[in-house]
Amino acid sequence: MEPIVIAKNLTKSYIQGLRALDNVSLTVNQGKVLVVMGPSGSGKSTLIRTFNGLETFDRGELNVLGIKIDATHNERKIQKIRKRVGMVFQQFNLFPHLSILENITLAPVHVQKRHQLEAEEYGMYLLNQMGIDSHAKKYPGQLSGGEQQRVAIARALALKPELLLFDEPTSALDPERINEVLDAMRRLAKQGMTMIVVTHEIGFAKDVSDQVLFMDSGKVIETSTPDVFFSNAKHERSRKFLNQLEKH
Amino acid sequence: MKLYSIMIFFKKLKKNIFLNFFNTILSLVILLTTLLVCLNTFRWFIFNADWRVVTSNLSLYAFGSFPSDEQWRPAIWITSLLLLSIITLCGPCWKWIQQNLLLAWMSTIPLGLYLLYGGFGLSPIMSRHLGGLTLTILLTVCSSLLSLPFGIVLALGRQSSLPLIQKLSSIYIDVMRAIPLIAVLFFGQLLIPLFLPVGIEIDRVWRAIFAFTLFVSAYIAEDIRGGLQSIPNTQIEAAHSLGLNQYQIMQLIIIPQALRIALPALTNQAIGLFQNTSLMAILGLVELLGIGRSILANPEFIGQYIEVYVWLACVYWLVCTIMAILARHLEQTMTINQTNF
Amino acid sequence: MKRSRKIFLQFGIFIIVFSLIGILINNLTINLIRTGLGFNFNWLLKPASFALAEHALPYSTSDSYAWALLIGWLNSLKVIVSSLLLATLLGTVIGFARTGSNSLLGLISAGYITIIRQTPLLLQLMFWYFIGFLGLKENVLISIKNIFKISNQGIELTGLTFSSEFSALLFGLGVFTSAYIAEVIRGGILSVPRGQWEAFRSLGLSEQTGLIKIIIPQALPAIIPGLTSQYLNLAKNSTLAIAVGYSDIYAINDTIINQTGRAIECFIILLTSFLFLNLLISNSMEIINKIIINSKKYN
Repeated sequence: MEPIVIAKNLTKSYIQGLRALDNVSLTVNQGKVLVVMGPSGSGKSTLIRTFNGLETFDRGELNVLGIKIDATHNERKIQKIRKRVGMVFQQFNLFPHLSILENITLAPVHVQKRHQLEAEEYGMYLLNQMGIDSHAKKYPGQLSGGEQQRVAIARALALKPELLLFDEPTSALDPERINEVLDAMRRLAKQGMTMIVVTHEIGFAKDVSDQVLFMDSGKVIETSTPDVFFSNAKHERSRKFLNQLEKH
Repeated sequence: MKLYSIMIFFKKLKKNIFLNFFNTILSLVILLTTLLVCLNTFRWFIFNADWRVVTSNLSLYAFGSFPSDEQWRPAIWITSLLLLSIITLCGPCWKWIQQNLLLAWMSTIPLGLYLLYGGFGLSPIMSRHLGGLTLTILLTVCSSLLSLPFGIVLALGRQSSLPLIQKLSSIYIDVMRAIPLIAVLFFGQLLIPLFLPVGIEIDRVWRAIFAFTLFVSAYIAEDIRGGLQSIPNTQIEAAHSLGLNQYQIMQLIIIPQALRIALPALTNQAIGLFQNTSLMAILGLVELLGIGRSILANPEFIGQYIEVYVWLACVYWLVCTIMAILARHLEQTMTINQTNF
Repeated sequence: MKRSRKIFLQFGIFIIVFSLIGILINNLTINLIRTGLGFNFNWLLKPASFALAEHALPYSTSDSYAWALLIGWLNSLKVIVSSLLLATLLGTVIGFARTGSNSLLGLISAGYITIIRQTPLLLQLMFWYFIGFLGLKENVLISIKNIFKISNQGIELTGLTFSSEFSALLFGLGVFTSAYIAEVIRGGILSVPRGQWEAFRSLGLSEQTGLIKIIIPQALPAIIPGLTSQYLNLAKNSTLAIAVGYSDIYAINDTIINQTGRAIECFIILLTSFLFLNLLISNSMEIINKIIINSKKYN
């Protein structure tokens, strides 16, 4: 099995003494789903944002899809990674001045230099997969949060990425809208997409993930299979966190 | 049914106008004064005013001293602008019209320049023959069109991470915004010739357009900077994560959004510019106000200030109102599409 | 962008901008030599030999150009400050009338605002001057004993006389700016969330008390910046004084250029006087702003 992401000793500090990432190492293999959990401010968002170069780090090395980057943050290499890695954000971050279909075809046309018609055709296919092809001509502001997030997933898929990053994709949604997004993500996982997902959704993690990584204060506390993590977590702090999550 | 709605009307009237004793008195006083003012104005309009100063000079107000057998050219231009406004506002929603409106608006500028200056089959006309409303519109259209790209560049320059560019744009914008327009226009008329190499000359109209562009672009830059600053950083992150490069992000994500956010401010600038073209009357161009002044200097019409100024005020007010309605229409079509804006 | 590229790019722009300025200055020098004027400020001390109708300090035609410029600057300041007061007063009244509960008053103020804002200031100034003051057929329009008198000679107020030029400018600038200030005031009042109105009404406060105690204090932070920019606009607009023949700083520069041909020097003088004037206004508004913010903290 081919490793997609290999991180070695990633370290990032904001101010002296306060570390967003503290010696984080991990490996994600092709076709696997890694769920990252942890309390807020634990560095999980920072971690997955380093994987497509939205965040820099001070020490350690990172290998994404065979492209190695280090603390020098080489722009050209990061650009190469971004063309092959998709990302879905907590706040959707759709472009409000472009229609749904234009949001999706933007990157294929301007980054991959594909033909407009071809990109639109593929975009409609993706929207169909997400069950929102009827909204193609609308603008982001006219859609509900769940629909917007599915558009965001389709936009990330439009570049045919080899890895998808999800940064708390359901945290900004109304409770009754969460499942439509999670279902779309489940389908992607079944199709064999490699995914790294920051989320608090225990059900999703249990069903879909191959590994759960638990972080606190920038450190990896434990990495286990979901079975072990949710029934019999090794670490005291993980158990505490899970208890609190279940109370809510 | 009808009675009921009349009752509602009076109830509303009571609530809004005759709320309490003080308000009732106030309302009555206002009503009375308004009535008196309206009556007097009306009487003056019909009996006292001598409208020949307007009616016998209509072509002067519209076209200035444009050769009389060529006046159909500016007439066509102004009519096409008017027609286009009407079509934009209340034209049918046929798809091909909606799609080609922007193109039509853009093409009015080369059309206007061709019709006014001639060449290619039309007899050429010198700038000094331009005047009246035609000149006012020409100054407005050309200056606003030229100052938009310049303003965008300045706004981006002021946001730039390169300290030298940032400083230069900031100094330009701040200095321009500190000095009065008339000084800049004066600079355009008197000083630009001094800065040009010997032998090269630009005519007065284009010197004015140049000066207006220098001035307005500084204001436009600040409006656009406001738009740029209100675009959240997450938009840029999302664009980065899609692999777009710096220039693509600027061109596809940031500038279009900034322009849309700045749109109300920009249309206000255009309306302000239209009014400010009247300053050229002081500096010797016979645009709408200038032609009014030269008509007043004619012994035949001497002293008829009220008629001329009331007439000019009506024309300025009408054009400004049309511009404002067009601007609001534009804003609305944008917000219908994008509820987040 | 890489650092070396950034430096290179800036260097390139530096060269382009400065060679452009160099070319322009070169052209200017050639033109100035050609016209035989050159560039210096020695003429400032020569007698101006033009008369000024209005002067706050003693002035005669034998005084120097520099003195005439100072007089002009003071004249500008005088008309700016007085029309600023008038505009603020009028604008506040109209702004409140526009937002108030009396819809008839609201309608009238809305009409006032659109008429004033949709016509050019220059036209309005000429209207005030040629029709409002010079056009008065009988010499005296209003006369209340000897205290207050409006005529085609201007305004007389208990011995203080204001020329018709000054008065036209005062009313023109004041009325024009008041329409903009009214919109600033209205925007400030509307910027206070609706909940605040509902809250003070639910506490049983009267409209007036609520307005003074709750709404205005919260609206002020939004109003002050808008006011500042309107005051700056007013100062810049005061240069239209030349249209009614009032000798402000711009008009005097204009006269001097016509007499001496010193366009570049006068332009520089005009520029610096306006930079100074702007600093004066924005700094005083900054002080007012600070006073308001501080007083809010202690209350």
